[in-house]
Formats: sequence, structure tokens, C-alpha cells
Amino acid sequence: MSVKYIPVQWNMNKYLYDAVVLGFIALYVGIFLGLGQTHAEFSRPTDGQILRIRAFGSCAFIMLTIILCVGPLARLDARYLPILYNRRHFGVMTAAVAFTHATYVLGWYFGFIPGNSYEALLTANTSYGQVLGFPIEPLGIFALFVLVTLAATSHDFWLSFLTAPVWKRLHLMIYPAYLSVVLHVALGYLQDAKNPGFAILFAGGAVTVGVLHVLAWRHDRRALAATGAWRDAGAPNELTPDRGKIIHLSGKERAAIFLYDGNKVSAVSNACAHQNGPLGEGRILDGCITCPWHGFQYRMADGQSPTPFTEKIPTYNIRLHEGRLQIDTNANPPGTHVDPLILPEGAL
Amino acid sequence: MAAQLLLLGQIYLALGTLTAIPFLTIGLGRIDENAQGAWIFRPMMIPGVLMIWPLVLYRWWVLGKGTYDETNRHQPPFPGQTRLFLILACALPVVIFAALIIRQEGPLERPSQMIEAPE
Repeated sequence: MSVKYIPVQWNMNKYLYDAVVLGFIALYVGIFLGLGQTHAEFSRPTDGQILRIRAFGSCAFIMLTIILCVGPLARLDARYLPILYNRRHFGVMTAAVAFTHATYVLGWYFGFIPGNSYEALLTANTSYGQVLGFPIEPLGIFALFVLVTLAATSHDFWLSFLTAPVWKRLHLMIYPAYLSVVLHVALGYLQDAKNPGFAILFAGGAVTVGVLHVLAWRHDRRALAATGAWRDAGAPNELTPDRGKIIHLSGKERAAIFLYDGNKVSAVSNACAHQNGPLGEGRILDGCITCPWHGFQYRMADGQSPTPFTEKIPTYNIRLHEGRLQIDTNANPPGTHVDPLILPEGAL
Repeated sequence: MAAQLLLLGQIYLALGTLTAIPFLTIGLGRIDENAQGAWIFRPMMIPGVLMIWPLVLYRWWVLGKGTYDETNRHQPPFPGQTRLFLILACALPVVIFAALIIRQEGPLERPSQMIEAPE
């Protein structure tokens, strides 16, 4: 099977999603610029350029905080999954906002000196031996470098080219980048801020990221400890014929369970072999699980594409235990045949 | 030192450009059938190649040899991820608390007062 790459894969949900994020950015920056100058303390007057630096910088911090909260929130409550699916667009916009912040910083603080402004940026403060007054510029540069790299490698092509394990490892750089941003702000503007509202917003946002990750980790551990290798996948009557149900396994691994032929149940990986599309959101068409993104198809019992195609995805063992479905969290190698679970009469 | 760092950065980006040209014009179509005949999306890949060109060269080489085991695509996610975000969760409050302690002025100090100029 082959589906050609296009610049951006739009659909109505993504239009809406991007419109909401863009609306938030415009509203936040507009309010910040509108109120910032009048609410600034008279002993520390700010001009328009500094206000823009702060508006875009704080906006990027809030956006990055939301991005990092979405992952654990989706693991704790499936209602947040729609935000997770389009997180790549959110990330690209965050990189653009952070880049705007950096452009204003460079243009204002380093734009009027003789010589190279980039060189000035790196040499303006070299007091690496002290905590108070520590150079915050390299911390910001590192975070911006990571954000731009992740945005530049967010297209589906990169996921396919690098493969999901490598792509995910690369995108884990977001964690050290966020710590770097927090240090950038904590050792920079926080040291000088007069407005307690900023300190509360900043500390609250960063601590929320930490707390949500710990809660999601505990949630995953409890779920795994309760069932060992087998994880509860709900009651059979929660399944919709010829539709999928996504089950969260350890970490970011997900499986998709399908009910078909009246009483047969099979489970496969939720990630399509093509571009990691969510198979659990797809449906069974022509006797095959069909990916909602590009229509790649797989047989339910062995996760193989029908001949002449050769794509394969992992399958999972599944059983009925005390009236509930359970899925083995250890995936079978891609293409492994697993006999479908036949539900007894009255199970649905 | 700063000038040397900038020079290194420029060399890195120049090598990225040298990688991007053959990769995006010739290499892409040979290793990924979804890219064959698809040209409009390719300019969008330039920034990515510039940033991670050593990894691009490595993957191009592996895929070009044709010996890549496609089942590796389904390896479970990075097991160290849990450790990474737990370290982050611990570090964040420590950093913020320490930053508030070393502040020379508290966040709630009395606001400044405007003094009338003497007549």
C-alpha cells in the first residue's frame, strides 16, 4: 500500500484545533500587551519591545506546560485524548512563539551593539560560577534549539523514516528542554518580577507538570500491579460491532480491541505500520481493520495486511476472566496469529 | 570561544545543507515509496535535515542497504522514559523553591511610592 506524503494532513478536527490554539495565542498576547504597560510599576517602566519579549516568552512557557500536561492527563482520563492526537500542531506553534520571543530579545538587547549580535548573545554574561546572575541565555538557546528540532521533525515522514522508537526517543528531548526553560525563567525574570501573580502562574504551571506525571505513573503502576501481565479491557458489552476500542497498556503503548462476526474478539497494536495512525479509531471494512488515516488494512487474527501487501503489526492475547475482557500486555511479534476469543452466549 | 562556537554551528548547518540536497532530491524516493512522486512536502523537510543530518545520513545508509528489520518499528517505547519524567517531576519544585529562596527581594514586598517633586 502506498499513500503519498502531503505538506499537512488537514481535517475538520485539526482546523478547529489549530484555530483554538491560534485564538489563545492572539488573545493572550493581545491582553498582555494591552494591560502590561498600564499595570507595570512606575519605578520599572517597560517599553513596547520588552513587553513583547515578556508576552511571547510567557505565552511559550504556558503552551509548553500545557503540552507536557496533555500526555499524563490522557493516561488518567481518556477524554483528553483528542488534545493528545493533535499535539504535534500545538508543538509547532509553541516553537514559533518561542522563536518570536528569541527574535525580540536579540533585536532589543543585542541589536544595537557593534559587531555580531549572536556573538554578543553568547558573551554578554559569562558568570557561570555563580547562581545569582547565572547566564540564562544558553538555557534559553538550548530549549529553543530543541523546540525547533522537534517542530522540524514533526511531519509524518519523520515518524516513518526514523521509526517510532527512534522518533519517540528524539522527542523525549522535550523533558530536558522544559527543565531548561524553567531554569531560564527561575534564574531570570523570576528574580526580578514584582508581580506575585507571575510567580504563582509560573510555579503552579511547572509543579502541575511534575505532579501530573507522578499521578499518571502511579496510575499505570497500580493498573499493572492489579492484573500482572493481564490488563482489564472492560466488559464485552462495551464493544461496538466492527469498531475498535483503545486500551492503554504500559507507558505509551496502546492496543486496539475489535468485536466482529457477532461474537469474535481480537486485539492488535493501536499503531498502524504506515504512519502510526490510531487503528482503534478505525473500523472493520471488507473483513479487515482499516486505519482511519490512510485506509491501510490488517486482518484481525494475525495483524497482517491482505495479500499482496506485506505490512504487519503486533497482536495481543486476550481472554475472558470473570465476565470481563483481559489483554496480555506483552505483545506478540508482528504478524503472529492469535485465535480470536469466542464470546459465550449472553456475554454481550 | 563564542566566535568558534558560532563557526562550528555554521559548519554544522553547511554540512546539513550538503546532506539535504541529495537526500531530498534523490535519496527520499529510493527509500520511501510514499515519497515517490511527492514533491510538494519536500521543502518542509529541509529544517529537519539541517538539525539532525547525522541521524538522517545513518538512517539513509541503513535503509539503503535494505537490511533493516522492519519488525523493529514495533519495539516498545523507550523504557527509560518513566525515569526521565520522574527526575523532571522531582527537579521542577526544587528549582523553583531554590530560585525563590535566592531572590534578593521577596515577591510580596511593599510596592514603590511616587514621591512628589519639591516645589
